[in-house]
Amino acid sequence: MPAWFTPDRETWLYRVNPALKFAIFVSLLLITLFTRNLPFVSWLAVLFGLLLYGFSGYPIRKLALLSIPLVISFASTAGTMILFGKGDAVLWQWGPLKISEESIQHGLLLGTKSLTFGFVGFTFLLTVQPVLFFYAMMQQFRLPSKYAYSFIASIRLLPVVVEEIQVRTNALKVRGITFSRGMKGWGERIQAYTVPLFAQSIRRAQRIAIAMEAKQYQMGAARTYFYPTSYSRMDAVFIGVIAAGVAGVILLVVGMK
Amino acid sequence: MISMVNAITELENAAFQITKLRLKFPGEDTLLFKDLSFSVQKGEKVLLLGPSGCGKSTLLQVASGIVPNSFELPMKAETLQLPESWGFVFQDPDTQFCMPFVDEELAFVLENLNVPREKMSSLIAASLERVGLHLEEIHVPILELSQGMKQRLALASVLLMEPEVLFLDEPSALLDPEGTEQIWSSIQAAAAEQTVVIVEHKIEQIANWIDRVVLFTDDGKILADGPPHTIFSNYKDELIQYGIWYPGVWEDYLTSDDYQALACNRSSTSTFEVLHAEDFCGYRGKSPVIQVESASIAQGSWVTILGENGSGKSSLLLSLMQLLKTTGSLTVNGQPIVQKKRRKTLPAGLSLVFQNPELQFVTNSITEELTVSLQSVQAVKAEQHAVEMIELFNLPTSGNRHPYQLSIGQKRRLSVATALTSSTDILLLDEPTFGQDARNTFLMLEKLESLRKAGMTIVMVTHDLEIASHFATEQWTVAGGRLVSCIQLGGMTDARLVYA
Repeated sequence: MPAWFTPDRETWLYRVNPALKFAIFVSLLLITLFTRNLPFVSWLAVLFGLLLYGFSGYPIRKLALLSIPLVISFASTAGTMILFGKGDAVLWQWGPLKISEESIQHGLLLGTKSLTFGFVGFTFLLTVQPVLFFYAMMQQFRLPSKYAYSFIASIRLLPVVVEEIQVRTNALKVRGITFSRGMKGWGERIQAYTVPLFAQSIRRAQRIAIAMEAKQYQMGAARTYFYPTSYSRMDAVFIGVIAAGVAGVILLVVGMK
Repeated sequence: MISMVNAITELENAAFQITKLRLKFPGEDTLLFKDLSFSVQKGEKVLLLGPSGCGKSTLLQVASGIVPNSFELPMKAETLQLPESWGFVFQDPDTQFCMPFVDEELAFVLENLNVPREKMSSLIAASLERVGLHLEEIHVPILELSQGMKQRLALASVLLMEPEVLFLDEPSALLDPEGTEQIWSSIQAAAAEQTVVIVEHKIEQIANWIDRVVLFTDDGKILADGPPHTIFSNYKDELIQYGIWYPGVWEDYLTSDDYQALACNRSSTSTFEVLHAEDFCGYRGKSPVIQVESASIAQGSWVTILGENGSGKSSLLLSLMQLLKTTGSLTVNGQPIVQKKRRKTLPAGLSLVFQNPELQFVTNSITEELTVSLQSVQAVKAEQHAVEMIELFNLPTSGNRHPYQLSIGQKRRLSVATALTSSTDILLLDEPTFGQDARNTFLMLEKLESLRKAGMTIVMVTHDLEIASHFATEQWTVAGGRLVSCIQLGGMTDARLVYA
């Protein structure tokens, strides 16, 4: 699986300081969240779509595959809002379904927002190396090292947990355990998986914590860094591109009025 | 006066010293240690032996300060003079690292020591060299290393701290013979100068290297303390009782009454073919992971599957159990197995025991665990079956204990017992004796042999050539994703001859 997430080429987005990239993307998400202007959000979606498809360094085929859930979430949020949303200027009504101008407006706004979130999220996740991200968070944003290393350690353990889920699935089959149909079955399933997997994970986490302290890791102690991260010219370029992009979007929206 | 001078020089030469240690696990009535005194001289190589649960590992953790600094336990001691610098290698290769890559893990230690960035690369390369871990590329995921290589990496990372004292808590318990060989030769080469304190059951490789053996009783007292040869010859009964893999344990077991009783009338396999595979192939995703041209197993056989790590042994078991996608023909008890697109049922008569017992338990008590797959049977009969199994596998007789509360050996035996329902007649096992002490290993093998005598067919993956040669009736070898040989053993023939 990690091989799948290796880009074809490392674009300029990879050379931006990961912590700075994170901060800017989070603020963009906040802006998107609190905007109620449909054209503005739509153009933002276009902007971030361009960023993801043009500069993430991944082939179009993979990006298209990753975009499927985004399209589904766009369609479902927008669709639900359009069909069931409140509104006075009714265009079409049938039973509980009611489409109004306002509901179309709200539906498209919500859908585009979720699309924007998806594009920004993927652009960040696909162009950042987790280890470097946490190193940058420690060095540029003074994130306490205990959080950074706990995150790194837990990422390392993900494949182990996946393997354990597979073993558990096989073991349940061999033991002849069957689950009820419907919701009850899901409850049984969750119980059958969580208890043993949690027991294993807690034990592992405790052992790793002890091993880290045995390697003289001390919370809050001064430390050096194997991967020095700093700000570079590329960060200025990145800020410039984002600022220009957002400014362009604002101009477009104002110009349309 | 002289004794006082001695005492003072002893104190100066001591790598660490603990006197009158009292320690208790929360929630337990009795003390684990009651006034235990223990010290180690600088440069000494000491091995701690004793039954599991006697507190050897806890003592290492007290001597290093892990208890109570990282892990709090109620304790007090008259003197607690601990080493200034120490390194600790733990048992489980998968829970010692916090970073994803080899170089990052070693750098993590250097970061903790505040070593400047410029000096890191050369120190990292030197430490890998020191433990004999030659990697073409050091930025390699730790997940891709073999277990033996992981333990050597753990050793390399603690050596970066230039420790005076090295604590090793069963570093080879979860390794195959090759990995065991690797880690001990690395330790002997890299830690010749250091004080080394070892807890380990598998001691064949180090018996000649250590200077001193300390033997513990199961209530945390020191039974004997002296040079290895004296302990090994004078305390053999205790070593057997505690399940230590002391040098020569197999020779002693093979001449024991228990084994002799098993060994007579062994070649009693029938000619009925319980399993037959032809052009059989198992896949993970789209890639074939195990290929079998032709193989068959007669009822009452004991087949051991040998092969290197990653050669496809476990995949073979999963394929036979139809848990992987397979092609080709497979016949179980004369019934051809047809793999359906959405497979819901597994081949009748087959059962598989995985390595980690905890991932196989599905209920909250031993009795329930043994009766859960007998829904079609009357409650009374199911109850009866559970009682029989508890007796056969030496499990706690009350049957109400939670499976997680059992000892490691009991968990393994329970996981085998759960696989035995009235319909099981071929038992597939993935390294059922792996990481077990000698006593539990022999106990498990004896249980399996008694099942085999009663008509069960046993197919077992193992790394242990001794098991293969003294218990199996047939030996399969898997290499590079192919079953390359099936050798009949005339009961007691020595498989090592075949191997050499």
